[in-house]
Amino acid sequence: MNNDKIAMALKPAGHWERHLPLAIGMGLFLLPLLGIPVKTYLTLTIAGLAMGMLLFLVASGVSIIFGLMDVINFAHGALFTWGAYVGFSIFRLLNKWVDAESVLQNVGAFTIAVVAAMVVVAFLGVVLERVIVRRVYGSHLFQILITFGSTIVLVELIRVLWGPNDEVMPVPLRFQGNWDVMDVIVLRYPIVCILMGLAVYALIQLVLKRTKLGTIVRAGVEDLDMVQAMGHNIFLLLTGVFAVGAALAALGGLAMAMFTLQVYPDMGSTYLLFAFIVVIIGGLGSVTGSLVGALIVGLAYNYVAYLIPWAAAGVNILIMIVILLIRPTGLFPVGK
Amino acid sequence: MTTPTPVQIFRSEERRERYITGSFFLKIGLLALFILVPFLFPSFKSVDLAMKVILFATLVASFDILLGYTGILSFGHGMFFGIGAYSVAFLMGKYGSPSYVNLLFGVLIAAVIASFIALFISFLSLRVKAIFFAMITLAIAELAIVLATKLTGLTGGEDGISISMPGVFSVSFTLGKFAGVEITGRTVTYYLILLSCSALFLTMLRFTHSPLGRVLQAIRDNEARAEALGYKTFIFQSIAITFGCVMAAITGGLYAMWVGYVNPESSLGVMTIMLDVLLMVIIGGMGTLYGGIIGAGFVKVTQTFLPDLQDLAMTLFPQAEFMHHIFERWLLLFGILFILVVIFFPKGVMGSIRDYMARRSR
Repeated sequence: MNNDKIAMALKPAGHWERHLPLAIGMGLFLLPLLGIPVKTYLTLTIAGLAMGMLLFLVASGVSIIFGLMDVINFAHGALFTWGAYVGFSIFRLLNKWVDAESVLQNVGAFTIAVVAAMVVVAFLGVVLERVIVRRVYGSHLFQILITFGSTIVLVELIRVLWGPNDEVMPVPLRFQGNWDVMDVIVLRYPIVCILMGLAVYALIQLVLKRTKLGTIVRAGVEDLDMVQAMGHNIFLLLTGVFAVGAALAALGGLAMAMFTLQVYPDMGSTYLLFAFIVVIIGGLGSVTGSLVGALIVGLAYNYVAYLIPWAAAGVNILIMIVILLIRPTGLFPVGK
Repeated sequence: MTTPTPVQIFRSEERRERYITGSFFLKIGLLALFILVPFLFPSFKSVDLAMKVILFATLVASFDILLGYTGILSFGHGMFFGIGAYSVAFLMGKYGSPSYVNLLFGVLIAAVIASFIALFISFLSLRVKAIFFAMITLAIAELAIVLATKLTGLTGGEDGISISMPGVFSVSFTLGKFAGVEITGRTVTYYLILLSCSALFLTMLRFTHSPLGRVLQAIRDNEARAEALGYKTFIFQSIAITFGCVMAAITGGLYAMWVGYVNPESSLGVMTIMLDVLLMVIIGGMGTLYGGIIGAGFVKVTQTFLPDLQDLAMTLFPQAEFMHHIFERWLLLFGILFILVVIFFPKGVMGSIRDYMARRSR
């Protein structure tokens, strides 16, 4: 492991591998132009970026939790679904605000839903970490088994509480509709998603790079025992990070439900898979990797779904396989 | 003549006692019970239950080779099971006709395809971290379900494929009465599958008790040390994965023979097949092979009699509305059981019994 680090440090700065992520990204952006009219291409790109940003919200949680705690959280998809359903209930409760013409009331309803979803799911995350995951630190096998078991329980609880059927997700009135920019139809909500994703990315980077807490977290990713030896309460830290990851999943779930206009109990498993593909592409433990991976996955999915509908589910796995073959640690590997 | 090594002495002692221990008679008794099921309980429900216990015990044993003996968690085991089922269904139903040759070829082709896919996945994922295996197999298994559902022209989509059996295995075939029970094609199929599953099970036992199997256990317990001892862990893990997956594919082919029907949910599903298999292997005990029989028996019997249990709960507590809600979602109870077993009972039934026996004999 150490040798790898030294070898990486010794690599010349202009090594081609450094430009690989950029090259892949550029290729993905431009290649589909061959088969798609320009206007459709722009619409698809915006949809893809929005989907990518939402996937980033889910994947970043998986990635941070793995980086710090060495836990692959298979229950992340269930937390995502919980976020969507809590938001769904809030929108039902505030249906006057949701259907109102006023932007302020719409945004208010959205904010309350987001806060409620994040708080409820963060609490779930704390319970999950304290009661269940903490017992199996250190053993990947049992972590996967136990978080998989938690997924079943959480998803079944959703079926008990909200019923087993698909539901239509209400969306605040002003979030619907579109703008017409130079004859290109731009939906409003995807733009909101993109801005939200960028804001969350900036916030995470700010906290990680500019605060004391962030320094501790980054140190924990490198060597958790050392952080404990320095006198920090790592158990509190781990619970906190798990809760933040869960809250991000909830935000992602709520936003994704508004994007696809539906909630259903099994929605988590689909997006958990996307999140796994994203973190494998981006590199487990890296936030920037999650963002890049998520954008690649979101864009590729949308382009291929337009060009060859039946292959949409396979293209991301294909990208993952290619990345694993040429760069098994992902695009932005994190040393550990 | 050199003096025998301690390992050789241990092995020869083990061999001498092999046929006179209680556990050997227990195994023979269990086999006899499965042989007698069609005569003791000739109803369709009980024979079907016994058959599913046998099939799932074999599937769980093949999963246990990965999980319990190699320490690798695969969520794609249901997919390999499904590959077997679909392969037989293609040759017997959609693209062929019911014949003995097609049946044999269906199982063989399934084994070949499964071994290629398993090799490919292990080359892909084991290079990085064993933990990638769980994530990648989950992704590929979901892809398989999507493909089986979407490519309607090829696979029959959601409706799946129905197959009928050739000659002596067909439902209409009868051999007359024996001991008061009519011997039909179903009975013949039951015995064929019982025989095949026993053979598969013995093969897996042989595999785990071979020197190769012991290396696998060494890798599971301490990968770095096994590597330091000179074993190429990657190759051994790939062999174990491929072997387990081929066994699963063959079991899948047998499953298709029995139910006569495949569709994406019942033969590929992560949440259906994989969940059952995980529960069975955890309850029975990882790394024991025989635990799979206990686990499969428990889960399948519970699933079969759950509606009766539900009715019982209804009549006993007619007021408890919320409890009925919970009982309708029996998966919730299974999930809670799953977590509790993993936390408090990680060795499962079989592992705990073995621990107890080892303590007593010491």
